[in-house]
Amino acid sequence: MSAAFHEPTTIAEAVAILATEPDVCCLAGGQSLVAALNTRSFAAPTLVSLQRIEELRGLRRGADGSVTVGAMTTHRDVARADCFQAGQEIVPQAAAHIAHPAVRTMGTIGGSICHADPAADYPGVLAACGATVTLVNARGQRELAASDFFVDFLTTAVEPDEMVTAITFPPMPEGTRGIYEKFCRSEGDFATVSVALILGMHDGRCAFARVALGGCGPTPVRAPEAETRLIGSRLDDDDISSASNLLCSRAAPQSDVRGSAEYRLMLVPRLLVRALDRARRRP
Amino acid sequence: MSADIPIKLSVNGEDRNIFVTPTRTLLETLREDLDLTGTKCGCNQGVCGSCTVFCDGLPIRACLALAVTMRGREIVTIEGAHPGDMLSVVQQAFVDAGAVQCGFCIPGMIVSATALLQETQTPSDHDIREALSGNLCRCTGYAKIVAAVSLAARRLNGTVGGAT
Ligand SMILES: Cc1cc2nc3c(=O)[nH]c(=O)nc-3n(C[C@H](O)[C@H](O)[C@H](O)COP(=O)(O)OP(=O)(O)OC[C@H]3O[C@@H](n4cnc5c(N)ncnc54)[C@H](O)[C@@H]3O)c2cc1C
Repeated sequence: MSAAFHEPTTIAEAVAILATEPDVCCLAGGQSLVAALNTRSFAAPTLVSLQRIEELRGLRRGADGSVTVGAMTTHRDVARADCFQAGQEIVPQAAAHIAHPAVRTMGTIGGSICHADPAADYPGVLAACGATVTLVNARGQRELAASDFFVDFLTTAVEPDEMVTAITFPPMPEGTRGIYEKFCRSEGDFATVSVALILGMHDGRCAFARVALGGCGPTPVRAPEAETRLIGSRLDDDDISSASNLLCSRAAPQSDVRGSAEYRLMLVPRLLVRALDRARRRP
Repeated sequence: MSADIPIKLSVNGEDRNIFVTPTRTLLETLREDLDLTGTKCGCNQGVCGSCTVFCDGLPIRACLALAVTMRGREIVTIEGAHPGDMLSVVQQAFVDAGAVQCGFCIPGMIVSATALLQETQTPSDHDIREALSGNLCRCTGYAKIVAAVSLAARRLNGTVGGAT
């Protein structure tokens, strides 16, 4: 026995199906969902494929400098996009580091954040950018900050009758640079630890800093006090090491096949140094 | 319970009409419904790369694509290599470089390598290794595989001659 399949072509049709069908689930690129179905360890839900909804694809730059990415935009398309500016370039950088070319052809930003694997690349980037996620159901629309969207390990604030339609990355201050530093066992693997950094310098001092960690807890880790510690400093060894300590005290990594919790905490200061070095090196 | 869904897709240039259940993967369809067994099932989790095929010109994992979503798409598998085309040049380079050991991973390797060469004419060994990082060879014959892709690149851009 297998479940039913729907292939709507508009958001309105899709949310109408989500509102009425029991045990229903969106299918985006299938790069996590189909892998799970292939294990045959649970009964297949009714699938609503979002692949034919054209209004969910593509990137748009707003007049205010924000960039809105449709939920069904593939990792490949984000990695190749040229509409991201100061600081926001961390988004295509991270997309280019997700998995392998064949997975990037199909996998989408909406699917990635809804799956909410703490070792995935987008969650930390959304957190560092202060991105907002747009959710829609049959009754209306709401916007959530990344910090409210990611709730727990593989758990988001998306309700069963809701779908994500877009992610909006706000403009960052002029002159800032975004750096995504991913540490993984081999090219294309999920991160052991990742650091998403947006940095602005002025006269040799740090004028703007946003940092988020991936792979260091059930949801992306941010530490406003670490950012405060960096801002105004010259980013000397002492500054970086106390900011790292502040970040680590917020982190709650698990031990798994990619590394022990202790090892992950050891990676944090090293990756932060690398990210800060890359951000300060002129392009 | 739902009846099988009819879909029409193009496989190696030929239109195929088939019936599929919602959870049938493209990989199962290729191997079991269409008898195209060149595409291999290794992990069925998207990790090993043995099932990599082209969909509308781009590489995808056939094990992670539901057949029912492939309506109207153009699929090209290793069986779709024709004398003279890029897929076949890459295939021949694998033969000439002695890059094939047990052969199980090779169809996926050839598709991933061809996808790389469509975008990069003169890849470095590093580019090749990165592009093939999602294709596992359990014989661990990577050195000759990288040499084969490099040979294919040189044949395609005319810096060396060679059979196709
Ligand atoms: C071999 C391999 C390596 C990988 N490596 C990495 C990596 O290094 N880094 C990384 O970040 N990721 C990695 N991934 C995961 C990949 O990025 C997936 O693309 C992603 O996790 C899921 O995206 P998808 O579009 O395929 O979603 P799907 O698998 O289709 O869906 C995932 C989940 O999200 C739900 N969903 C999807 N879209 C929506 C929506 N718009 N609204 C509501 N719910 C929705 C689905 O119902 C499902 O529960 C890897 C995957 C594979 C197979």
